Amino acid sequence: MAGSAVRRLLAEYKQLTLNPPEGIIAGPIDEDNFFEWEALITGPEGTCFEGGVFPAKLIFPRDYPLSPPKMQFTCEMFHPNIYSDGRVCISILHAPGDDPMGYESSAERWSPVQSVEKILLSVVSMLAEPNDESGANVDAAKMWRENRDEFNKIAERIVRRTLGIPA
Amino acid sequence: MKMADKSESSTNSDTPTNQDELILAQQRKIQQEISDTIPLVGPLDQISSLESEYSTDTIYLAKIKDLSSKYKSIRRTRPDGNCFFRAFGYAYIEKLLDDKEQFSLFYDLVEKSKNSLVALGFPQFTVEDFYDTFMEVLKRINDIDDASDAKKELHNLFNEQGYSDYMVVYLRLLTSGQLQKEQIFYSFFIDGERTVADFCHQEVEPMYKESDHIHIMGACSVLLTGVRVVYMDRGGNTSVTEHNIPQDRLTPDVYLLYRPGHYDILYL
Repeated sequence: MAGSAVRRLLAEYKQLTLNPPEGIIAGPIDEDNFFEWEALITGPEGTCFEGGVFPAKLIFPRDYPLSPPKMQFTCEMFHPNIYSDGRVCISILHAPGDDPMGYESSAERWSPVQSVEKILLSVVSMLAEPNDESGANVDAAKMWRENRDEFNKIAERIVRRTLGIPA
Repeated sequence: MKMADKSESSTNSDTPTNQDELILAQQRKIQQEISDTIPLVGPLDQISSLESEYSTDTIYLAKIKDLSSKYKSIRRTRPDGNCFFRAFGYAYIEKLLDDKEQFSLFYDLVEKSKNSLVALGFPQFTVEDFYDTFMEVLKRINDIDDASDAKKELHNLFNEQGYSDYMVVYLRLLTSGQLQKEQIFYSFFIDGERTVADFCHQEVEPMYKESDHIHIMGACSVLLTGVRVVYMDRGGNTSVTEHNIPQDRLTPDVYLLYRPGHYDILYL
């Protein structure tokens, strides 16, 4: 089983290297272990995360792609759909029925025809358009709704920090 | 001050959700432990072997008696949410092995199916592994001349998780493709406001999702076959209820026993 997971991850890595989606780099941290990847995601233009480069880890299960990977930002993040420890909480990272946040029924879910690229693109859209109804970080969701200026300020500080610019 | 509030309360607000995730993880682990003790596809058993599961339940015992008057044996499948697709795939291919001509028609049908899926919008890149594995299994059993040896190989491959699960995924994709291709028809079988595409993404394509009537209709339709489902539950009288899918096909290729939440294979 792990053999087919590695074969698939290798194919996805190749694909992502040959045709990288804009603003995304991803691949195994160590080519001896295809089950742990690092990704760098550029904050989408025209959003409060613009200009930031956000590092994240992806951990794949042995039965990938039957089950989805887990994803966690390794930099500081403040976002309605990201836990304070960096774990990303969006529907595509969950199989249907596995539903910690009660996603909308139309939300995109994990299935074996999804891919790392699809996940990363969903994460970019999530950065651009937080879903404040499924709050992994309730405070961020509340601030996004009620005090956008303050939210933008925090986001800007996080962006500067990812670039190593003192706040 | 505001920041201090933030970090403190967000730690608190994380706790209940983490608990939920822990509970989910535990549920999964328990289910896994139960299901891992049952083979993906088991050996042939007598129908009467069902009696031990219901030794004090007179309704079920009466129905098992009725069932054994119609069917000779049962082959159990692992209750992991994939049981319909695994039972269906196994039983249909097993039946085809008795008829070389039918088998080769099926082989051609599956061989051409990847292009149809890609034409329907499935990403070639992620469909390929499942298709290749399905074709590999068909080739391997097709290369064996003796039908009973081929059936043994089928049984072995269906009990190797890597092959078996990939076969299930491909059957799920074929079914999803069929439902989406005929989406106007199938939309009448879906409750609520979900589109056929949403339904497929959430209920057909993902592994471990249980199957319903609509999955069986789609699977039969795309592979040009028929299934008879024999329902056995605590309701009604003392006999089991049989149902052909599609309805107008009176000679099914596959017979399945349905008990609430689970499918096993039946043999005449």
